[in-house]
Amino acid sequence: MTLSIAPGSGADLVDELAGLDPGSPMHQVRHRRDKVALATQGSYDALFDPGLPGLSLVERLLVALYACRLTPAAALAGHYRDRARAAGADAAALAAVEEGDPPELADPRLRAMLCFTRALILSPIDADRALLGTLPAAGISTPAIVTLAQLIAFLSYQTRLVAGLGAMQAARAAIGTETSP
Amino acid sequence: MSAPLEIKGFTNASLEWSAWLDKVDLASATPEQLAVLEESHPKAKVSDYYLFLVHQPEILRQRSTAFNAIMYAPGGLSRAERELASTVVSRINGCVYCASVHAQRFEQMAKRNDVIAQVFDDPHTAGTTDRERAIAAFSVELTAAPDQVTADSIARLHAVGLSDDEILDLMHSVAIFAWANRLMLNLGEPVFPG
Repeated sequence: MTLSIAPGSGADLVDELAGLDPGSPMHQVRHRRDKVALATQGSYDALFDPGLPGLSLVERLLVALYACRLTPAAALAGHYRDRARAAGADAAALAAVEEGDPPELADPRLRAMLCFTRALILSPIDADRALLGTLPAAGISTPAIVTLAQLIAFLSYQTRLVAGLGAMQAARAAIGTETSP
Repeated sequence: MSAPLEIKGFTNASLEWSAWLDKVDLASATPEQLAVLEESHPKAKVSDYYLFLVHQPEILRQRSTAFNAIMYAPGGLSRAERELASTVVSRINGCVYCASVHAQRFEQMAKRNDVIAQVFDDPHTAGTTDRERAIAAFSVELTAAPDQVTADSIARLHAVGLSDDEILDLMHSVAIFAWANRLMLNLGEPVFPG
């Protein structure tokens, strides 16, 4: 595991994945909005809190990996793949999420979660009331559904943040040492 | 009072929103849930949206902190331009509710809604100035294909005068609506007046 960020460690996953080294000009730009950076890391910590009831940590990490595969967001997918493996995700579920077609999974609960993930990531306008209804039908409680929806929606945010910051970093590299604020 | 806009299913009218699943009952809410509602939004205790999301108070607390810091912090990109970006994202994702709210906020700050009418009609070409067109185009790009955003995308924003601090605010405004739209679209539905 090279990209593991322990909650409360003060480390920042988005900085790490976007390549913003502490003290670098882009790091300074981002952290002039430090409240946003802290709440972004705080959201990640809350959504992947191992003690959060309702959805297991492995389930949440599999959802995250699948969302990043679909977006696509390669660096974040690598992060969630490492974490899912470390958390003990089983090989069949990992293979389905990484390369297969999750709707074919045997476990109805994970299948419902991943079908919901696919709809929200790829085409949120088409994810309707009937689709939401598949989650309670698979035995998932309302508080756990809130966690799942917030998780997928957060991933939509996090993937765009990492992509955008990476592009800003690349733009700085392209203009060399010119660092007008 | 602004001119009403009703274009391609999008509107600048005030809408309500109704949750599809059971909300938290205020009478049985925990002290933590009540505290998070109070810090999230002035009307959170009578809003289906917040009463549903507060099933997970710590997650809502972090989301509300990020949202409020992105949309309301002083300096950087003007608040009207942040609202423009949010409206473009909501139009692309098809979130009629979010588009109506942020169209109204743009209008409150900019005192016009010409560009909002353009966004509702076709977000890909919207903008009354080069700067607005660049902001709208970047919002479309980061929403629709985040993996295709490159240094060139950033250079197009620099070319119309945006600083890196403004670009960061723009990117945050786009990204937070990838988040917000998915909650509003997939956990309930807008309720139209009348």
